[in-house]
Amino acid sequence: MENFRKVKTSEQDSPLPFPDLPPGVVEMKVKEGSKIRNLMGFAMARMELKGTRQIVFSGCGRAVTKTITCVEIMKRKLGGLHQVTKVHYKTLLEVWENKDPQPDGQVENLTVHKNVPSICILLSKDPLDPNEMGYQPPETDFLPRETCKPKGTRGQGLTEYAPGCGTVWPLRLERVKAQ
Amino acid sequence: MAEPAPPAEELALRRRLPPRLPRRPGDVYVNMQTDFRAQLSRCRKLLGPGGGCAEIWIHGLGLAIHRAINIALQLQAAGAGALRLAPSTSTVELADGLEPPGHPDGRPPLARARNNSAIHIRVCRAPPTP
Repeated sequence: MENFRKVKTSEQDSPLPFPDLPPGVVEMKVKEGSKIRNLMGFAMARMELKGTRQIVFSGCGRAVTKTITCVEIMKRKLGGLHQVTKVHYKTLLEVWENKDPQPDGQVENLTVHKNVPSICILLSKDPLDPNEMGYQPPETDFLPRETCKPKGTRGQGLTEYAPGCGTVWPLRLERVKAQ
Repeated sequence: MAEPAPPAEELALRRRLPPRLPRRPGDVYVNMQTDFRAQLSRCRKLLGPGGGCAEIWIHGLGLAIHRAINIALQLQAAGAGALRLAPSTSTVELADGLEPPGHPDGRPPLARARNNSAIHIRVCRAPPTP
């Protein structure tokens, strides 16, 4: 591949994997070079309007971590948001061209199909279906650990546990011990 | 602080591990040091007939988020529709200890707290369709 250079990258747009989305939902496409400050400025301004009930953050490849960071920052600033997370593979089409074409003018093109992990996160002010795979209820922040109780069994195990009390890691162990 | 901070070249940044990782049998923590195929086959064995886990949790912190998602999606692709993924995200607080080298006596280490994103993916077997 060292004789080739990338000419074009395109991704196939697929519909959002969330059921029953209103048509005017704000969609934030996070790219690798996006600045979190700019993304959050725009997203917070739109979300603070009373009419905006839902927002979707999506990113693929190297932007996945940044997408999750944006979502966590928004959840911290605006409490009480319901979250649904979906992961899937996204296909990128890259076109590579021969760097030094032969004197007889043959230009070789390579089309590469790349499957990259991609994430889509929906944040909503209105309650969502808790039976949806990837549903996460809003965090109840700043509660002392003793008052954190499991939210009852809805057949989803640990998913609906309130992770707001301290860090997530030790709380899951406490939840398992209580069962 | 009353005393001036030590010059930057004296400080050694020591990253601390996230606190107290739980270790249930179905918990898999993904990192960037271990080979990808080894981590994938470990998850596959846990979910397989001899593994004894009906569901596993795949955890990834920071840079390992990408790898955790990849492992989960590979498991789903190989499982031929029998596996379902339920991801959730969280923020983990990490503390970096700034210890001036050459002063082992008494001076308390400075600390800097930072946040990092984490993903937890629940992989469970889907109930068979009637």
